[in-house]
Amino acid sequence: MNVEAYLKKDYIQSLVSEGKRMDGRGFEDRRNLEIEKGFASEKAPGSARVKLGETEVIVGVSLIVGEPYSDRPNEGTMSVSTELRPIADPNFELGPPREESIEVSRVIDRGIRESGAIDFSKLFIEEGKVWIAFIDLHILNNAGNLFDAGGIAAISALLDTRMPKYEDGNPVRGEWDGKLPLTCTPIPLTIAQIAGQLLVDPTIDEEYSLDARLTVTVSDTLNALQKGGFGSLTLEQAEAAVDLAFKKSAEVKEVVEK
Amino acid sequence: MDYSVEDREVVVPGQKIGVSGKCDLTCFKDHEEIYSTVHGLVRQGRDYVTVIPSKGAYMPKEGDVVIGVVKSVRETFWIVDIGSPYSSYILKDEVVKTRGSVDLKQFFDVGDVISGKVSSLNEVYSHLITRPWKLEVGLIIKVNPKRIPRVIGKSRSMLEVIKSKTGSRIIVGQNGLIWLKGGKADLGVKAIRKIEAQAQTRGLTERITNFLDSESKEV
Amino acid sequence: MSGKSNVVLIKDGKRLDGRKFDELRDIKMGVGVLPRAQGSSYLEWGKNKVMAGVYGPRKLHPMFLQNPTKALVRCVYNMAPFSVEDRKRPGPDRRSVEISKICSEALDSVVLSERFPNAVIDIFVEILQADAGTRCAGLTAASMALADAGIPMKDLIASCAAGKVEGEIVLDLMKEEDNYGECDLPIAIIPRKKEFALLQMDGKLSRQEYSKALNLAMDGCLKVYEIQKQTLIDSAKVEAN
Repeated sequence: MNVEAYLKKDYIQSLVSEGKRMDGRGFEDRRNLEIEKGFASEKAPGSARVKLGETEVIVGVSLIVGEPYSDRPNEGTMSVSTELRPIADPNFELGPPREESIEVSRVIDRGIRESGAIDFSKLFIEEGKVWIAFIDLHILNNAGNLFDAGGIAAISALLDTRMPKYEDGNPVRGEWDGKLPLTCTPIPLTIAQIAGQLLVDPTIDEEYSLDARLTVTVSDTLNALQKGGFGSLTLEQAEAAVDLAFKKSAEVKEVVEK
Repeated sequence: MDYSVEDREVVVPGQKIGVSGKCDLTCFKDHEEIYSTVHGLVRQGRDYVTVIPSKGAYMPKEGDVVIGVVKSVRETFWIVDIGSPYSSYILKDEVVKTRGSVDLKQFFDVGDVISGKVSSLNEVYSHLITRPWKLEVGLIIKVNPKRIPRVIGKSRSMLEVIKSKTGSRIIVGQNGLIWLKGGKADLGVKAIRKIEAQAQTRGLTERITNFLDSESKEV
Repeated sequence: MSGKSNVVLIKDGKRLDGRKFDELRDIKMGVGVLPRAQGSSYLEWGKNKVMAGVYGPRKLHPMFLQNPTKALVRCVYNMAPFSVEDRKRPGPDRRSVEISKICSEALDSVVLSERFPNAVIDIFVEILQADAGTRCAGLTAASMALADAGIPMKDLIASCAAGKVEGEIVLDLMKEEDNYGECDLPIAIIPRKKEFALLQMDGKLSRQEYSKALNLAMDGCLKVYEIQKQTLIDSAKVEAN
């Protein structure tokens, strides 16, 4: 039981009815976003460290030679995994990925995959060999909204990623051949529904107090949606959330692509 | 005592404080030599030396006022979470004056926030909470337990300043939970966070008084 | 440790990265870096990047692990998948489990755990970028995080490794020296008493080489201790406003 968040639930809901948030933000304001590309790129082909408010995530991209799927023999593949490390939150435990960590991985995966950001045909090497892009999320501090922090870190890490040099049937250690080609920049935006209002980028206390949340991932088009929470969303809320995502994604895109 | 460090000097665990003197649990003795156990500020008292750490978990102490959340309701007692590794219990007779079986949920149910006093501490820190009462819905914040003495102040001076300038009802738990209701509770929280960050500086009471005055004027 | 390579590790009395035999890599440290953990630290040691976080004392589950005479000091060492050139699958491997055990024991030798019966003090070490000597960097960071959390201890723990490269005893092996050298000797000490809280070795050393390496590593640890101490003292400087 997350006692601290539980204690704030009623208060947060009453604040929302007055049009306010605990940290003084407007309902449409994201927290402060810091992106450091290449944080772990001494070893990894690509990486990024992101701080969204106090939520801190590091993403590393590894490119490994592997076999393609039999139905797509000329395409590379990708795999997203998330580690909710216990260092990040007193309520995270050691052990195999729980449903929260699997959901974060799959939502971020969908946003990248469905937007076509990675052109998998460009990851083809030769017959029976393709590049597999492993996108590994390492959560270091959970102050809420791992979807956005993780999703922004993932696309930032992909933008930082160099292609390993490939010669004589093998990748050459420590040598690179250009950057990973990307076609667009998918950006997630998570909106919480609290007391009938929509709030952008919930903190951990707001996450605990919400009725429902919607993570919207957009690039040039709408690419992915994920509703969470035990409550519900109205039609107006579902549409308003997507409008918000398109509206706010441009500023994030600017920071990510810098 | 023969000191190796100055008053108000910052020390690290294992650092030598001095020789031949008295110390409390924040230091340990190796023969006659005294060493710090924590990272904190040395305070040379009249009778003994102590080191004030900037952080640390709350360890229940007899007589402490604490705030907690009811975790479980049993037949003859409640279990309360006060954010410590040690169990807190409220016994039925603390609250129920009639005999015979009664549903304890009528008094405190799971999720209720209560305030009370720590009592009957045993050697593994299990304890009772006496004189419990339920707190109405208010704003509850978690503060570093080591800063609580500073939030209260000498003879409760700091706490009185915050209460009078904000008009809020405030209950401070030694375990680091603080309950505020009414008045300018948000302003109270800001003041408390300031105290938390600057607890080891001087002239804090005056600065907080000025801060609360100037913020009140802006509203 | 293969002891063979085409790489020349020592040339004109200097190592691959230009260091002298008894020189440490660049080390940078900071504490209080993770808001949710009770204590935390971040360390850059050469190309290593390490984060440590502490929670505790807190309730220990399952109950059969509880010890009424003292707290369990539990350190978990983990490498991020992207921390090494050949991606490591997430989750503990045998090497991480062993390192976790010996780090827990090293920290337990200084933590005043009798003060917290039945509880647990959890220390999480996350290796974000690895370049040889990660257990030393991790343990050094763990000790700082414990101090930052206000956990009472008899002393800090300072850790460092020595090794043998092309016949020479050197301090603080980097990646190539670790891969192609003849010996690796990581240690951790209780600085005041100069006693070993951790001691491991693999490779080939003569009796004299062993003494030389042990003393060199001890000196290295004492230098690391000075950096730890200064970092903690500097971190306590607060502005009044």
